[in-house]
Amino acid sequence: MILRLVIADGRQTPAVAESVELSADGTLTGWRSVSPAGVGWFTGKLPAPELTALQALIEAVTPTSPPHPVPRPGAAEEVLELPATGPVSIAGLTPASAPAPTPASAPADADSLDGGVDGAGAWARLAEASRQLIERLTDFPRAAVAVDVASPTTARLVHRGTDPLRLDLGTVAVRVTAWRGYYEPAGDWTGPVTGPAEVEAGPGWTYDLPIERAPDDTTVHLAVNFAVLSGSTKVPVQARFTPVPK
Amino acid sequence: MSDIAAQRVLKPQDTPDVNTLGPDPRILLAAGNAAMARMLPGAPAGAALGELGQFAGNAQVARFVGQPPAPGGGAPPAPGGGVTSGAHGDSVQDLQVELSRLQASAAPLTEDGKYGPLTEAAVRNFQTGAGIVPVTGVADPVTKAQIDAAFAALPAPVRVVLASGATGTDVGFAQQKLNAVGASPRLIINAIFDGPMLGAVIAYEIAALHRFPTATVDAAMWTALDSGVKGGFLAPEGAGGTQVEQNTTSGTANSLGTQVAGTSLHPFTGVGGLTGGPAVHELQQKLNTAGASPALKDDGAFGPKTLAALRAFQTGRVPPLPATGTADKATWDALDVASPGSLTGAVDRQWTEVVGGATYSMVGAEGSHYSWEIQKTRMLVTAKVTFVGPPPPGAWFGYVPATWNQYQGVDAASGNSLPIDFQMTSGGGGDANQVKVLTGSGRANAGEWYLADPDAKNTIPHEFGHLIGLQDEYQLHPGDYVRVTGHEPPVGDTTGPAGAPAPATAPTPATIATQLQTAMVARSSAGALAATVTAGVRPGAFAQRIVQEYATLATTTVPAVPGVVGPPSVPGKPAVTLTGDLLFDLNAALPDDTDRYETIQVLSYSSGSVMGDQSRVSDPHDHGAQPRHLGEFMAILGRALGGTWEAKRR
Repeated sequence: MILRLVIADGRQTPAVAESVELSADGTLTGWRSVSPAGVGWFTGKLPAPELTALQALIEAVTPTSPPHPVPRPGAAEEVLELPATGPVSIAGLTPASAPAPTPASAPADADSLDGGVDGAGAWARLAEASRQLIERLTDFPRAAVAVDVASPTTARLVHRGTDPLRLDLGTVAVRVTAWRGYYEPAGDWTGPVTGPAEVEAGPGWTYDLPIERAPDDTTVHLAVNFAVLSGSTKVPVQARFTPVPK
Repeated sequence: MSDIAAQRVLKPQDTPDVNTLGPDPRILLAAGNAAMARMLPGAPAGAALGELGQFAGNAQVARFVGQPPAPGGGAPPAPGGGVTSGAHGDSVQDLQVELSRLQASAAPLTEDGKYGPLTEAAVRNFQTGAGIVPVTGVADPVTKAQIDAAFAALPAPVRVVLASGATGTDVGFAQQKLNAVGASPRLIINAIFDGPMLGAVIAYEIAALHRFPTATVDAAMWTALDSGVKGGFLAPEGAGGTQVEQNTTSGTANSLGTQVAGTSLHPFTGVGGLTGGPAVHELQQKLNTAGASPALKDDGAFGPKTLAALRAFQTGRVPPLPATGTADKATWDALDVASPGSLTGAVDRQWTEVVGGATYSMVGAEGSHYSWEIQKTRMLVTAKVTFVGPPPPGAWFGYVPATWNQYQGVDAASGNSLPIDFQMTSGGGGDANQVKVLTGSGRANAGEWYLADPDAKNTIPHEFGHLIGLQDEYQLHPGDYVRVTGHEPPVGDTTGPAGAPAPATAPTPATIATQLQTAMVARSSAGALAATVTAGVRPGAFAQRIVQEYATLATTTVPAVPGVVGPPSVPGKPAVTLTGDLLFDLNAALPDDTDRYETIQVLSYSSGSVMGDQSRVSDPHDHGAQPRHLGEFMAILGRALGGTWEAKRR
């Protein structure tokens, strides 16, 4: 492992608890719990240029002290780990929040900032790149489930990837939000669906969920709460379908 | 209402046994038992009062002395003429308070000052019950008079005499009221008549009741406390008799985040800073008030004349300020002294908050940037936002006034009033806030908003509150809660979890505190949840006893743990030395997951207002935008126009 990022936020239900881990050979693995591109396990390999760019960012921060950013109100916990640093909180660390690079003529005490202002900038760039890795994960589904609209009255869970995973559909909560124009609210519907307590989803697997029909001139978004079974652990997840409105 | 059976009621001739003063004698530090014994047989002499002051804490006595009872309690002032569906304002809110308490409404009415269908139905119910014909649903003068009369005739809360060792809800209410009249240090609302409360009671008896201490909260003391401090009792509301805790007011709320020390509330203006907009208007107005000659045109453009006037002001100070042509902190400080008021202003607020034991901030370029203008017919507060990413939906801009444009400033002495309007605009520049617009849905924070947020009508007004410097009102320590909301932490649950069937017993606060520490050492948020929420702990006095007990435990260091990809994904954590502050420690030691969040929720305090946690806290008395949230703008009106302004519903 040359980099691991975990993002967690217990304020929402289900909680955000997502992760990505990058190996020296470019192997990317991770888990998504709340995502429009599928929830579950993801594995892939970064193209060499992307890996090289990330390695450069890691090397840039390694000699500097980790920053201590204070996140904005309501921000999720974001913890980045590098072999050289251990866990470092990066919530609130963005290129905008980091001080501008220090000119060479800066006074000696400029480094009194954590890691020095140049170091903070490097950490901010690495933080952004790491967050992008979590998004990048969904290009590589291994055993995941996404949701789609199959018909005006049907939402459909769809397996993604190559490996099977076990789901608990005993208590499924579906939320339908309809939008008209550019994100003008046009209605909202929620409903529980009771399905099988345990089901294995593999390639080709789908599962239909009845939903309320939204007005024809609207774009429908879905949020479906269910659970993925990992060993004996039931992990709450939310699959989302959020196309740009018509 | 109270656990009377568990209370020891002192008779007048009783001499308190100060050696057995209940569960927490630890505060009997200063004057000690001898002083108490000398003072109890007769009226306190001056020297004795001195000793008692030492016992209770001189500062505490001093705070109580000379405090006249504040107006409070009883029925609110009667509104004017009849009010009907579609009406709004303070008079409607008062009506809602009365209708709920008279149980005329189906359920406790949300006191929003809007005469909607539920309020109308409650008026109809009242009219039917009172035999008023015709039943119109209109609070006409006759109906209103009868509502007022019925409300005034409601029985006062039944109070019981409290003595050391007593427990129960009434103890909590007495603690709230002692805090509200100045107990120092503040009492923890734990619903136990413990040592600290004893000190506060004695101090109040001496300083406010001017009597020899009885160490009891007796009828006379209750009368004084109830007449001086509103709220602090349970009352049935709505037809179902829902027991609703009536908030105990306590001082003046300050809902703003804690300003970072040494920072200015004004943006740098002039050379190297802002050269246009409200900040320059404010600068020009203040320079004019400070005697700029020739007087500047108030055009909001920082030109050569404004530069010259600013430099003249800087060099004219004693000692002179550097003539930089930049209105920096020192210059603004001097301008604020020379010219306290202006009709336009810009604020650059750098602030922090502690929520759920974690510190958050809006500082640097990410500080809160907003401006205000006192116009002829209203005061307009604007937060300009640079939206990064996809354009924001138009609906967002409507959500802000829908929630926030509820109030007007009123100066009672002059009778003047001015609506306070809020707006969010889109724009750039150094006085704009930056918000990243993200596709899809998710949980927003102050700097990231989601296009497809299905709850945007609540989310956007909350985040807008941060843009005008307001802090969150959830998962707070008690002191922060009272500062931010202006009322005491609720008494809530006093009894804790019920015991399991015999021979098992209910867990004590000390047991739960130990279990929590064990869970932290194991980095187990599930363990923390099991010890609290799952065991039956609910927010309130019992939960605060856990917080107290935890503070007494020996601290320990929790080793670092690496992150786990999962599932479930768990963030890595550095080693952490536990501090004894339960909220801080839970935040530091446990991963940010649902179990930790719910555990902290029951051990802290949250409001139901727009800045609180509206999804978890339902409070008919404290929801949406509240007058306290407009406090800063009332002060600005006072400086600009004179008088004392209060936010009232309009």
